Amino acid sequence: MIIITHPNVTDAEIDHIRERIEAAGMRTHLSRGEQRTIIGCIGDESLLAEVPLRSMPGVESVTPVLKPYKLASREFAAGPTVVRVGGRDAWASFGGRAITVIAGPCSVENRDMLLETATVVRDAGAAMLRGGAFKPRTSPYAFQGLGADALKMLTEVRAQTGIPVVTEVMDTRQVDLVAEHADMLQVGARNMQNFALLAELGHVRRPVLLKRGLSATIKELLMAAEYIMANGNHDVVLCERGIRTYETATRNTLDVAAIPVLKRESHLPVIVDPSHAGGDASLVAPLAFAAIAAGADGLIVEVHPNPECALSDGDQSLAPPAFASMMDRLEAFATAAGRTMSRMSSEARAVA
Amino acid sequence: MSADGEAQEAVDELARCRAEIERIDNQLIGLLAERLALGKQTGVLKREAGLPILDPTREAAVIRRVAAVARDAGLPPEPIREIFWQIVGMSRRAQEFE
Repeated sequence: MIIITHPNVTDAEIDHIRERIEAAGMRTHLSRGEQRTIIGCIGDESLLAEVPLRSMPGVESVTPVLKPYKLASREFAAGPTVVRVGGRDAWASFGGRAITVIAGPCSVENRDMLLETATVVRDAGAAMLRGGAFKPRTSPYAFQGLGADALKMLTEVRAQTGIPVVTEVMDTRQVDLVAEHADMLQVGARNMQNFALLAELGHVRRPVLLKRGLSATIKELLMAAEYIMANGNHDVVLCERGIRTYETATRNTLDVAAIPVLKRESHLPVIVDPSHAGGDASLVAPLAFAAIAAGADGLIVEVHPNPECALSDGDQSLAPPAFASMMDRLEAFATAAGRTMSRMSSEARAVA
Repeated sequence: MSADGEAQEAVDELARCRAEIERIDNQLIGLLAERLALGKQTGVLKREAGLPILDPTREAAVIRRVAAVARDAGLPPEPIREIFWQIVGMSRRAQEFE
């Protein structure tokens, strides 16, 4: 249930409304927009049956939220959420007017390749660096990532290039360690319904990049986001990365329709991973263009300085020139969608 | 003063600030322990008075009060509310298992 307040509602009136709801055993969430303020009610709505909400001072309307996700739902927020990542020295944001691109290798292989990739993707306009430290691989015999050593390399390269980093956390036991090194924590597709991990991520003060599971519905993705938010962390960015279908010509099928549906259902930013969706370097640019045209707030793209030598996912990684070319062509799609490209200013680069 | 001297002074000042923050954190822990002890006492009194441990009306009033105090002190009320929901919950659990 959400309560929309009058435009000139006072703090005291809001406090009173929230006290009445909380006294009934529910919790509240406040979202202040420029036009209106929304009080979201979380918990068993039958507890509110006896509370005369409509007649309380400051209340304009009371609307039930029938969807199973509450905090993640569009109705709960006064406007689209902008998720800010990093700090003053290195930052990025998702969900504003600008398109934000994350790029980097599938996995961190060594310090030199990471620094080289970070520099080229930053210079091509990427606002964030990705790089796997812990890799969930289908085969237990495949390269599993460099772990804690890779996290240290990410921290060093972040300091050298001035762009924030995102890396995957696979296990509840890794959350604190990864949060020490990364600006944003990624939940991979295979962990989207690892509810213990989601709950743990609710307790950290780091934005979360939540990837859609390969056989997860949009509702299940939003329920996964709800888990993180219900545990206290509201900085969630959703990521469509392709779903499993009968088609075998592509690794997965990019669900383009999920983008406008997620934007309609939720206030959270939505980005797209065209690398995993297609599983083929030649498909990355067209899928990226489609994503931006459909309203995505950003992209996460795999870039490797030498894709044929990559220890994982070489087939879908772009070489630096191909990434730069994609970024140049992306601008026209961003403009057509009424967006701008988020590029680091030349001063910021000079400082870095 | 040279740039190096200024940087050194900032590093020294940072260490002083961090030491002060640790001192305040220790005080906060001490105050929380004191609050928890009082909470447990109210639990005993509630049982004697035949009242339930869970009292949502009282909890909501506590949260409303601290949010208003925080606002008057120039602090953002939403994080303060979150912190106090945790404190109220901790106190309630201590009463239930006492």
